[in-house]
Amino acid sequence: MTLITALPASPVVLSQKNNTMSAQILILSQSHLEGSTDHVCQWLSHLRIPFLRLNGEDLCQLQRLTDLPANENIAAVWYRRKIHSFPAQYQLKKADFNTEYTLKRFLIDEFNGLHSYLFHLIDRHKWLNDPFTEDSLNKLQVLALARKCSIHTPFTEVVTTKKEIESLLNTYPEIIVKPISECIFLEDAAGGQYKMLTKTIHHANLHLVPENFFPSLVQEKVEKKFEIRAFYLNGEWHAMAIFSQNNQKTREDFRNYDTERPNRTVPYQLPATLEAKLHQLMKLLHFRTGSVDLMVDKQGNYYFLEINPEGQFGMVSYPCNYYLEKKLAILLGESIQELEPATL
Amino acid sequence: MEYFNLYANCQLVTGANMSLLCDLQMRRYYHIPNDTAEVITYLQQHSIDECIAYYGEDNREAITGYIDFLLSRELGFTDTQHLPELTPLSLSWDRFGDITNVIIEYNEEIDYNSAFFRELFNQQVHALEIRCYQHLPLEKLRSLLEQFNGTTLKFIKLVLPFHLTLELASLDQLVKKYPRVKSILVHTSPVDKMERIFAESVPVIFYKGSINSCLACGEIRTNYFTTNIELFTESQHHNTCLNRKLSIDLQGNIKNCPSLPESYGHVSTANLQEVLDNKDFHKYDNIRKDDIKVCKDCEFRHVCTDCRAYREDPNDLYSRPLKCGYDPYTNNWENWSQLPMKQQAIACYGLTALIN
Ligand code: SF4
Repeated sequence: MTLITALPASPVVLSQKNNTMSAQILILSQSHLEGSTDHVCQWLSHLRIPFLRLNGEDLCQLQRLTDLPANENIAAVWYRRKIHSFPAQYQLKKADFNTEYTLKRFLIDEFNGLHSYLFHLIDRHKWLNDPFTEDSLNKLQVLALARKCSIHTPFTEVVTTKKEIESLLNTYPEIIVKPISECIFLEDAAGGQYKMLTKTIHHANLHLVPENFFPSLVQEKVEKKFEIRAFYLNGEWHAMAIFSQNNQKTREDFRNYDTERPNRTVPYQLPATLEAKLHQLMKLLHFRTGSVDLMVDKQGNYYFLEINPEGQFGMVSYPCNYYLEKKLAILLGESIQELEPATL
Repeated sequence: MEYFNLYANCQLVTGANMSLLCDLQMRRYYHIPNDTAEVITYLQQHSIDECIAYYGEDNREAITGYIDFLLSRELGFTDTQHLPELTPLSLSWDRFGDITNVIIEYNEEIDYNSAFFRELFNQQVHALEIRCYQHLPLEKLRSLLEQFNGTTLKFIKLVLPFHLTLELASLDQLVKKYPRVKSILVHTSPVDKMERIFAESVPVIFYKGSINSCLACGEIRTNYFTTNIELFTESQHHNTCLNRKLSIDLQGNIKNCPSLPESYGHVSTANLQEVLDNKDFHKYDNIRKDDIKVCKDCEFRHVCTDCRAYREDPNDLYSRPLKCGYDPYTNNWENWSQLPMKQQAIACYGLTALIN
């Protein structure tokens, strides 16, 4: 198995006990397109904190189960990503869409079965975020929990008929449709790429909506002044305001990047009362890290939108000069010290 | 009441006479009179009306003109208050890696496969410049580039002399094999031009001038200015030319920069940790622009780089770069090499021949 081990030349935190491997940090990630993992690993190396990076791709070369990281050697786990893509290509002799789809699903399930074994192998409290909650996070449930913590959320409903949308439009001038799960990216045979983005429905385009449709999440459209992405790290909030309102092109969804006139991203301090409520929410979910998306309307009211436990923090850290990758590396390093206080 | 909120990543730097409004996110700057900068600063504490009242009705048009300009460049926005949640940008700076940038004056005779060299590139060096003054066959270069496979090095710049055998096709092959090479400068070229290779991703700049020693280094020009958060924050705390940087000169000596006299050992025998632990090696690290004479009064100080090797007064460590022709007190750019006050230093550094 090709585990990418990065042991520093002269570890200062690491103890040298006889015969036993010393504690290290386990990072679950993917081999490609993971700048944030790379960045945190570089800080860990620089700070001489021993770690083991296990990419999902590495599991595909597992020799035996005992090759998996052992609980006693791991001080903390940061679960960042599962896998980018399966290294091997499995192809049918004769192309058949349905069978291919079924097989692909099967392989994903097989992989998940192996991957989630790690959740059991390593003590639950060592995970920065509870892996079971993280893997089964449900948007509707998170919104319900947020409301329970008295955090304001936009009116949200799941509907299946045009009639229902019509009646909602009597209360809200505009509503948006977004997935209950995650946005997807599609590619056509010619290589064209399509991304799913939030769509707005109002009286003028209501006629495009079919009478009956697949259960869809709709939400009141908030006229935003700006958006906020807040990264949570062990009790502290590091927030960034995203101003996109001047820019027609990015108005709807700031993921729709406009490279020529990017949104303005600046440091932001969440009000203490909101911080406390959000902190409560993170506690309920057993998360010590994660990103929260919020929106602020023209009157200055805050709306909670969603949580991303994997935490897109690179896009907050750099523009706000927060050094979140370094802070995360230090936090991970502290768990080694807690585990082996006598050796320091 | 209307208030103007300036975005925190738009930073004002005030000089003797003019100021620079640095948009660190959009990576550009605006050169503005100190009067304008003063109004912008005042607007951070007061409403627009209060500002007009303070400067007088006569200045109403000027002030609203400034605000229109700031709004049109999206450097801020107006609101019914100064949003207290919009906090200042932290100007702290740090990097993973004891050495982030390396320059090598390449010499065929030197064996770079030493313990020092390998350890150096295990330290998460970010960028490397390989300068070749003499023609060398590309095979030689390949074996050097080979050594960086598997390191965290992200960026290699090659400086090569023009040669008839140096074809774009072979450079294209080279960068495909070693994708860390992201920029190439070909000096002593018959023409000045720019090409792009590797699906347009790597610029190859052909330059007529010849680069045959480090004496040509250290020029300060507006097109070398960089407006970004990395340089701006580092500049608040450290020397922007030498902090966390290391060079290996033509003889294989380890230096802060090829142009500086001090050597801290030889690449074939030195121990990296010893070099890093050597106090002398760090003596330039914390000489900030704010500590350097003249530069400290210059509005460009946090977008400009520095040069400690060629100084206006060779005897003063805190003297400003010799090869800067800007006068922050008059805001004029002159040809530095012709200025009478610089002649003594030019002679002292042996730059006379280079200039003529
Ligand atoms: S005076 Fe100093 S800071 Fe200003 S342009 Fe010249 S070298 Fe740069």
